[in-house]
Amino acid sequence: MILQITLGAGMFGLSCILVVILLVVLAFAVYYYNRIVVLSNQVDNAWSQIDVQLKKRTDLVPNLVETVKGYMKHEKGAIKMVTDARAKMMGAGTVDEKMKAHGELTKALKTILALAENYPQLRASENFRLLQEQLDGIESKIAYARQFYNDSVLRYNNITSTIPGVWFAGFMGKAHKPYFEIEEKERKPVKVKFDE
Amino acid sequence: MERLSFYDQISRNRRDSIVLILVVLVFMVALISIIGTVYSPESSFFFLTIALVITLIHIFVSYNYGDRIVLSSVNARLADERKETYLINTVEGLAIAAGVPAPKVYVIDSPEMNAFATGKDPQHASIAITTGLLQRLNRKELEGVIGHEMSHVRNYDIRFATLVAVLVGLVAILSNLFVRSFWFGGGRRDERRGGGIWILLVVVGILLAVLAPIFTRLVQAMISRRREYLADASSAELTRYPEGLASALEKIKNVNTGKMPVSEAVSHLFFVDPTKSALDSLFTTHPPIDKRIEILRSM
Repeated sequence: MILQITLGAGMFGLSCILVVILLVVLAFAVYYYNRIVVLSNQVDNAWSQIDVQLKKRTDLVPNLVETVKGYMKHEKGAIKMVTDARAKMMGAGTVDEKMKAHGELTKALKTILALAENYPQLRASENFRLLQEQLDGIESKIAYARQFYNDSVLRYNNITSTIPGVWFAGFMGKAHKPYFEIEEKERKPVKVKFDE
Repeated sequence: MERLSFYDQISRNRRDSIVLILVVLVFMVALISIIGTVYSPESSFFFLTIALVITLIHIFVSYNYGDRIVLSSVNARLADERKETYLINTVEGLAIAAGVPAPKVYVIDSPEMNAFATGKDPQHASIAITTGLLQRLNRKELEGVIGHEMSHVRNYDIRFATLVAVLVGLVAILSNLFVRSFWFGGGRRDERRGGGIWILLVVVGILLAVLAPIFTRLVQAMISRRREYLADASSAELTRYPEGLASALEKIKNVNTGKMPVSEAVSHLFFVDPTKSALDSLFTTHPPIDKRIEILRSM
């Protein structure tokens, strides 16, 4: 009789502990699931910020080419570089392709803007001044968007690669996300060649 | 300095805003009812109802239109999209860096160098910059200042600070009104009314009226100092360049005269104290500029 009671109490206590453990695990699962989803969405959102700016800049290129063409008659090479880079940007689909095309377009634009320094008439034109201001603005917005994107990726990768987040990430099929790196040569100042 | 994540800052600001609204609610209802009851004790219930209605309207307007009240009180105008592209671009860039929607950009025509942010949340935020600031700062310095304002936007400082400006600003005005009407009509009512309750009401009324401006000052002083340091730090985090903000502060220190024609009730919103008054040593709304520069340079 006494044995039965203690056994019953023991069973009851045991199941209580089991329930508590189950609840704690469940709470953890919900927390990490939500956290991973939120952070993953933030990364996507951060990427779309970059994308918007990349698109804006791509749209400005024909305008720039049109403005520049009249003055810079001897810089066909540089102009072609810009239009080629733009075409590549338009054709880019994946994040990786876009990052590459972005690097090329940045370089081409830097070259042409550096060359423009040699054309006082072009620099004096109101249209060119406005374009340059817009391009500068977009350039710094891309830089900030990249920073925000990389910060978001860092937070996301941290939670999905540490215990216990890594278990949930694997279960949810959430993989690592890539950082948006700048190519080394892009950071160096642009060398302008005067071949003509 | 204590390290707060910006989620903590947001929840603290939300909580502070609710507490502030409740305090103002109780304070204003009490004040208006007392004023009413002093004039005619028979209709105190009527005055209580009126007080509630007025206060609720006041809170609703302050919460939803506080930013417009503040912006028009300092004569801010919307930035020109063609002429001030540079400023708008910089604000948009830092909004991207902070991960908030781009705030509306306003300009204040003044030679003083200053800036502030207002609004009820990041989705309804505005940033205002004086022309003095715009003309004298280079790109990096301007980014530092706007980064500072952007962190106020991101962590909901703007909600609390705007509520303080509009809600508490009006309490001061109301108490002021009460004191004046009381002195003018005091002698006449003595013959009509009597008894301990009336005297008690008068005493409480005077007490409230006397306390209100001090209360305003205290709240303003309480909210600002630590928030400014935090926003400076967040700005450095956004721009990755603390020196920009430090050198902006240095320029401001040398240029500003502290004679911007803005109300004391909104001065705590500004980047640096827009008005230098004798009371400043007692009730500072802003941390000393030298201290801010020192902290930024040690980052």
